[in-house]
Amino acid sequence: MIVETGDYVKVKLVKEEYLGILLEAPKDEKGIILLKLDSGYNIGLDRKKILNIKVLRKAKEEKEEKISIKKQADKPNVAMILTGGTISSTLDVKTGAVKWLTSPEKLFQFYPDLFKHVNILKVEVPFMKGSENMSYNDWRKISKVAVKLLNDDNVKGLIISHGTDFLHYTSAALSFFLRNLNKPVVLTYSQRSSDRASSDASLNLECSAIASVSDIAEVMLVGHASDNDDFCYAMPGTKVRKLHSSRRDAFKVVNTTPFAKISPGYIAKISDYKTRSQVKGKVKLDDKFEEKIALVKFYPGMNPSILDYYIKNKYKGLVIEVSGLGHLAIGKEARYNLLPKIKEAISKGIIVCAAPQTIYGRLDPLVYSPGRELLNAGIIFLEDMLAETALIKLGWVLGHKEWAKSKEIVKEKMLENFSHEINDRLEE
Amino acid sequence: MTEERFDYAKLGLKCGLEIHQQIDTNKLFCNCPSVLRSEEPDFTVLRKLHAVAGQTGEVDEAAVYESELGKEFVYQGYDTTCLVELDEEPPHEINKDALKIALQVAVFLNCKIIPISQIMRKTVIDGSNTSGFQRTVVIAKNGWFDTPYGRVGIETIGLEEDAARIIEKREDEVVFRLDRLGIPLIEVATSPDMKTPEQAKEAALHIGEILRACKVKRGIGTIRQDVNISIKGGNRIEIKGVQEPALIIKTINSEIQRQLKLLENKEKIKKEVRQALPDGDTKFMRPMPGAARMYPETDLPLLKISRDLINDVKKSLPKLKSEKREELRTTGLNEEMMKLILDEDKLEEFKEMLIVANKPKLIAKMLLIFPKEISSHEGVEKETIGGRLNKDALIFVLEALEQGKIDENQVKQVLTRVAKGTLPRDAILFKKQDSSEIEEAIMKLIKEKSGLNANAYMGLVMKEFKGKISGKEAMEIILKYMK
Repeated sequence: MIVETGDYVKVKLVKEEYLGILLEAPKDEKGIILLKLDSGYNIGLDRKKILNIKVLRKAKEEKEEKISIKKQADKPNVAMILTGGTISSTLDVKTGAVKWLTSPEKLFQFYPDLFKHVNILKVEVPFMKGSENMSYNDWRKISKVAVKLLNDDNVKGLIISHGTDFLHYTSAALSFFLRNLNKPVVLTYSQRSSDRASSDASLNLECSAIASVSDIAEVMLVGHASDNDDFCYAMPGTKVRKLHSSRRDAFKVVNTTPFAKISPGYIAKISDYKTRSQVKGKVKLDDKFEEKIALVKFYPGMNPSILDYYIKNKYKGLVIEVSGLGHLAIGKEARYNLLPKIKEAISKGIIVCAAPQTIYGRLDPLVYSPGRELLNAGIIFLEDMLAETALIKLGWVLGHKEWAKSKEIVKEKMLENFSHEINDRLEE
Repeated sequence: MTEERFDYAKLGLKCGLEIHQQIDTNKLFCNCPSVLRSEEPDFTVLRKLHAVAGQTGEVDEAAVYESELGKEFVYQGYDTTCLVELDEEPPHEINKDALKIALQVAVFLNCKIIPISQIMRKTVIDGSNTSGFQRTVVIAKNGWFDTPYGRVGIETIGLEEDAARIIEKREDEVVFRLDRLGIPLIEVATSPDMKTPEQAKEAALHIGEILRACKVKRGIGTIRQDVNISIKGGNRIEIKGVQEPALIIKTINSEIQRQLKLLENKEKIKKEVRQALPDGDTKFMRPMPGAARMYPETDLPLLKISRDLINDVKKSLPKLKSEKREELRTTGLNEEMMKLILDEDKLEEFKEMLIVANKPKLIAKMLLIFPKEISSHEGVEKETIGGRLNKDALIFVLEALEQGKIDENQVKQVLTRVAKGTLPRDAILFKKQDSSEIEEAIMKLIKEKSGLNANAYMGLVMKEFKGKISGKEAMEIILKYMK
């Protein structure tokens, strides 16, 4: 009989035998067999020491639990897009493998709080992947599905679940791709997996549901405001960044304030946003994008030849993360002067932008002479724009052929405020 | 409460023990110190737990019963709390020191070490774990030890995290303190081999002795004993938290009594977990947890225990109390003193001081008797005395004695001075200016009571001037005037 994961087996070693359910061993542990003992504990056995494995009982055919979600006619309809990440995954204990939660029924099973405030009318799954594996193609797929759902009159808002690590790239992309937005587009996440009773997904999804039927006609990220499970912030999609590797409140607004504070009981406005009634007509998709762009972080001692790669490969745009008010090594004191290489890149038609490495605060190239020199060389200083947002915006602006043909227009568009990405009044 | 004895063989009594003991290291999955705090917390965090349906397709009955779903949990944190306890950072790799100590216990109990094991999450949703589960791992199995009533098997030895302490239970809110969360616990689970309550008690004492030989925490709340009981026609009952081995007999008898009564009334005995009460009685706690409660801790790699580590542990095994007693016996101390030294864990100090001066009786007194006497006579707090009469101070005084700077009968007085705050180097100084007065008094005494021998005069002199003059000096003066 073929031995498969989930089978109840007897494993014979030289001196002893073990009874248990055969599990899938971790991917990096090929030489090991994992067994769930009757006590519930899992142990590993070295494959080389196993004489034989006998199946005592085949795994039970997994019955798909029939969960029906009640039609909640009294609640507003919203749509969901699932894309992957911790929030959409669950561990199959029988095999040890990670599975995606892709059906509304599964979502209901894990996150009942999501359904308290809304009726999930549609769930679309364009793909399932971790956010680190996404690229422009995926942002485009999400925005295409989003536009279709948003233009359905029965749908009051949209919730998108997403991996956390590069979520702010997607939120920036959607902020630029979805034009004439007249409904809430809420991106949310979880930092603690769904198997935990302590998962942060529950509050994040419940607050997202409230945001999705609110009057905020913006692309926003909704997540924990602090490490308490009490309320979330709705944060502008272009002004948010993952600033912690593990905490629940990993995302923070940068250089602005959240749109609103949301708890399961109420939603309170914090700053100005577009409302539903301010926008007339349908949502439009504008997903033109130039992929030959790059984000380069400057560091002291950086060799200018690094930029040769981009010049040689005919890149169209670069965002350089500069520091201070807008500094790069270009003086006599510098071991490597970056200025000639930057001038060369610009002369070859590459659009070079500068965004703050400090994350917080605004660039001001006029204060010191190096800044002025860089400005004169043609670098576009992007005010207080987040570097990640700047990268996405640059790709989007350069994707528009009618804009990209003129350096002047590109500069004008990069400094035009499309979706809160520039804040000309920093209060902190 | 009944203390009656039963025909245990006829009843088919089977008992097993599960003993949890806190290990004296930093926490199991982070580097926070394992200290309990009594001050006001530095911060609090508010959390909620949610139903976790469908992990295995089945929800653990016990987990649901215990759950406080819908309640809010307030967690109190300190400067000794980090993001791991707050469920805001993945666990760090398992504490190697704690693992070594657990392996020591496994070796003492003749267990087979499990070379590859997986750290598990045991679902706990009563709020006592911020994560919603307790991390636990089994590291050894199939051990044994002997009791006067027969051999007892060890099923498993595990390592797990202690839970947060409950501080206050309000209507819709429970307050926990994070100081205890994550303290390493060693879990010793025996087979149901004990056939009488006496044997269960002996077994608990034996395991307790082994645990205390290793680096574990001492004092109230650092060890918890659970007893599993079944009799013919009954079902397995787990009794949690029997306070001390002495109560085991009473608790088992009381449980047998309860089950017999149920059987008499033809009632079914349900598998359940009961809570031990201080009077030996028990009360219902929750249904028995099942294997559905456990699933892998995916944030950590498999735990691999190498041959080298096991050999390392075997080479560095601590001494058991019985071995230490044999070692002490060679010094000629009486049983009572030996017991005191071992009970108060002063063997290391004792041995160190013995190197300074080969005076076992005096050293035992300096370590164990004098501090207590000084505390009650002088009204100095025990903690203060413990701090002042530390090992270094005691060794200093002992050296002064060896160098003839003080006399043996002055030791207690010196220690009293130190206990009251005098520095040891000042405490060993005695006034010499009285010696002429003392000499005069001795001269007078010999004149008044003439005809006694030197030793008799010595007795009288020392009675009056004890501590003010050394025996040697007194004898010199006596001999001078007796001529």
